[in-house]
Amino acid sequence: MDIKTRDHQDVVIFDITGDLSRPSGVSLHQAVKTEHERGKRNIVLNFAEVGFVDSFGVGEILASYISTQHLGGKIKLCRISKKLYLVFQVTGLIKILEIFEDCESALQSFEAL
Amino acid sequence: MEDGRLYRFLRRFADIRPQEARSALYLFLYFFLITFTFYIIKAVKENFVIGINPRLWPVADLITAVLIGFVVAWNARLLNRLPRKTYASRTLVFFVSNLLLFWFVFWLRTQTKFGISTLLVLSKTDQVYIGSVLGFNLWSDLFIAMSVTQFWIAVNDVFKLHQAKRMVGFLVTGGLLGGIAGSLLTYGLVHLINPVDLILICPATLLLTLVVVNLLHVERERVQDGSKLSPTLAGSGVGYLESLRTVRGNRYLRILAGVLASSMVVGQLIKYQFQFIVKSNYPNSVERTAFLAFFFLAILVISTVFHLFTTGQLLKRFGIRLTLLVAPSVLLVAALAAFLIPVAALGALMVWAIGIRGGERTFDTTVGQSVRELLYIPIADDIKYKAKIFIDMFVNKLGTGLGAALYLISYHALSFYIYEERRPGVPIQYLAVLVVGFAAIWIVLIWIIYAEYLGAVKQDLEEKWPNPDKLIKAHVDMDSTLLLFELLQSRQKSSTLYAMNLFRLKQMEKLTPEVMEVLAFKEDELKAMSMDSLLDVGGQVFYPGVEEAMTADDFEVTIREIVALPSYKLLMEQHLGGAGGTKTETEVARMETARLTGLMEPTPGVLQSLARLLRDPSPDVLNYALDSAAIHLQKDHIPLMIPLLGNPMTRQAAQCALAAFGPRVMDTLRKHLQDPQERLDVRKAIPEVLTRFGNQKAADILVAELCLREPGLEEELVQALREIRLEFPDVQFREKKILDVILSLIRTNYAAILSAAGGPAREGGGHPLPQGKAAVDLRTKRIFDLLTLVHPPDDIVKAYQNILQGTKKSVDSSLELLDNILDRTTKTYLFPLIEDLPPGERERRLKKLAKGLGGVSP
Repeated sequence: MDIKTRDHQDVVIFDITGDLSRPSGVSLHQAVKTEHERGKRNIVLNFAEVGFVDSFGVGEILASYISTQHLGGKIKLCRISKKLYLVFQVTGLIKILEIFEDCESALQSFEAL
Repeated sequence: MEDGRLYRFLRRFADIRPQEARSALYLFLYFFLITFTFYIIKAVKENFVIGINPRLWPVADLITAVLIGFVVAWNARLLNRLPRKTYASRTLVFFVSNLLLFWFVFWLRTQTKFGISTLLVLSKTDQVYIGSVLGFNLWSDLFIAMSVTQFWIAVNDVFKLHQAKRMVGFLVTGGLLGGIAGSLLTYGLVHLINPVDLILICPATLLLTLVVVNLLHVERERVQDGSKLSPTLAGSGVGYLESLRTVRGNRYLRILAGVLASSMVVGQLIKYQFQFIVKSNYPNSVERTAFLAFFFLAILVISTVFHLFTTGQLLKRFGIRLTLLVAPSVLLVAALAAFLIPVAALGALMVWAIGIRGGERTFDTTVGQSVRELLYIPIADDIKYKAKIFIDMFVNKLGTGLGAALYLISYHALSFYIYEERRPGVPIQYLAVLVVGFAAIWIVLIWIIYAEYLGAVKQDLEEKWPNPDKLIKAHVDMDSTLLLFELLQSRQKSSTLYAMNLFRLKQMEKLTPEVMEVLAFKEDELKAMSMDSLLDVGGQVFYPGVEEAMTADDFEVTIREIVALPSYKLLMEQHLGGAGGTKTETEVARMETARLTGLMEPTPGVLQSLARLLRDPSPDVLNYALDSAAIHLQKDHIPLMIPLLGNPMTRQAAQCALAAFGPRVMDTLRKHLQDPQERLDVRKAIPEVLTRFGNQKAADILVAELCLREPGLEEELVQALREIRLEFPDVQFREKKILDVILSLIRTNYAAILSAAGGPAREGGGHPLPQGKAAVDLRTKRIFDLLTLVHPPDDIVKAYQNILQGTKKSVDSSLELLDNILDRTTKTYLFPLIEDLPPGERERRLKKLAKGLGGVSP
């Protein structure tokens, strides 16, 4: 897995590529915490290039969500796969996580705040 | 006599219906005249036979046994060729001519006034006399066998099975009375005219029989709309070999033949014992004829009394099997008693011989004859005609022949002639050993045939309609079907709820290829719906193909791992502790939350949220919450679930959820079931939950509640008990309690019918009003449902169905089956409710029985 970050005003966009899974070797949560240390509180996770997400990957997303929430920030997800969406539906996480079809919508939702 | 008056008269003596009266009278007279004739011939013939050398006795019987086979074949051919009426008339004319010929031959021997002529000399030689006696013996056996067979065939032609069963006692009484009259006449006249001239009375009585037979056929054609019994119906192609093949090919008939043969062997051996003693005591022919006539008279009087007061009672009280066992058991014990009598004590031996022969004859002409005819009931008509000829005429004589052969062998092997004069008890004891052996075989065969009898009766009964519960359970998985409906409904509401339900189905391993097919059927509709969902706030997007994604092997594992994540628990508990599942959420969101609580681990927060959802006002939310409660099985949730049994919208889910707790919830359920303060709707839903446990305790709770006879719960309790019986055959039901409830239902039906009868006059007599009749029918159905608890369910169900919708024959077989399997009290009170009776007759019987039933107040 590879994560590239880019800033859009006060929002950081994580462009994730590859699999978000246990063997991927890169921690999403760690990357999010690094952005927290940079003072960034609002994050968009772009899943457009993500292949496979396992429970480890979901755990990373949730840990990132919690730590961001504790800092008063928000994490939003965009362009997630059908399967991941289904996972979120079944587990009820869809009620908690904010998911958008495209990243522009996600960014706009921050502006609306 | 008019039909109505005749019916009222005969009703005092027999269980008959108005349209049966004339036929019953003619058959009564028919049997009366046959036995009247026979008992005159019998005394004369027996006197002739005893008069000849004892070593020739079995020869007479063996000749009969051998020749009777040919006569059977000839008789069968006649029966096949001639119309029934013609056949009966011609054989009677044939017997009349034969009797006149025999009388002439015996009369010649008694004449001294003739001049010496060849005919007279010949008639006085011993060889010719013995030949005439043997011929007369054969002829008399042929006469009785053919006449009785013809008579019972006539009974079968005129009456259906259950009619015949009701009538059999009455008809046999006619036969017994005929025998008494014949014997009485013989005893009275034998000292006035010699035994030979007594024969001359018989042609006259047979001509009277001819008249009765013709009247009977006219009446039968009148009642059965002019239908004539063709020779084909009488037994299409029936010949001796076919009769034999029919019996050989049917296990039941083979055993029946065995029962008859063994009884005949016993009877034959006892006859020889009797003849031995009579010959020693009565050397004079007239005295002997008088004694024999008196003996037969006494036997018939005893038989009649025994029959009138005992046969019906025995059958009613003990059923066919025990009634059949009476004769061989008593004769076995009586035969053993022969060893207690000194071999030279002629007087004591005479008393013993009269006793055992009298007993044998009494049983044979009463219980034996009645019950043997009943054993033919389950046989199909075509087979019965073929087999009856063989069994009644050939097997009968085969038994006689075997008895004769055994006597002959014993006579020569054990030198009976040595003991004839001084120690007649010795051959009696030798023969008693054989009697004991064959009586034992007889008993064993009765035991076997009874089991076969019920099996044969059941073969007449077919399932008229399948048990709906059984049918649904066999073809439909109700749980899966309900889940599938829930799933399809959830598609309309929310893709998330749909996904959750789909996963629940997957967890339960119910996401089968068939279910997938059903889901694919709706795909187009869902695709259209997904376009709408794109516009939803929150961006809930429907992805076609979720079903396939769900079936991937790793999907379920992934979900389980996610649910176990501490971060997931933390977030979801926060959600549930906040707005999740509260009334601030939409109904669909609450439904999703309720489903979700079943997926999550049972943390205090989750359980608290679930408890809140179990109080939700929406039935849809409650159903999901109940399903989740069935997963976590928290005792604290039970009080919240019980009231939901009373709501038709949540009843089924509540029943499933409570059943998921298993037997530990039974005491709570019992408490609510028995609580009169509890809502009736809740109480009514509890038996179904108990059914699912299908254990002894559940059955006991239900029976105990049923015994309290609360009308509001009766239907549910009976239904639940019936289901336990069908699904869990090992569960036992307390018979006495069930029978008490059945009697109580019978009592209620009696009261309803008698109350209607006592009300304002209605067309057709005292039928209950339509709604009253429906209630009576419903209770009758309930009675049968309860009977399935204490009797084989298939038998009871088939009997009930055939009584409602069967053919005349299957209705008869149903009643016959019930007659054999129900206890005496139940069948006594139940039968008048289910038998096909005219309303007035039914009321009369109900009134009569109501006194014994108690508590019936119209």
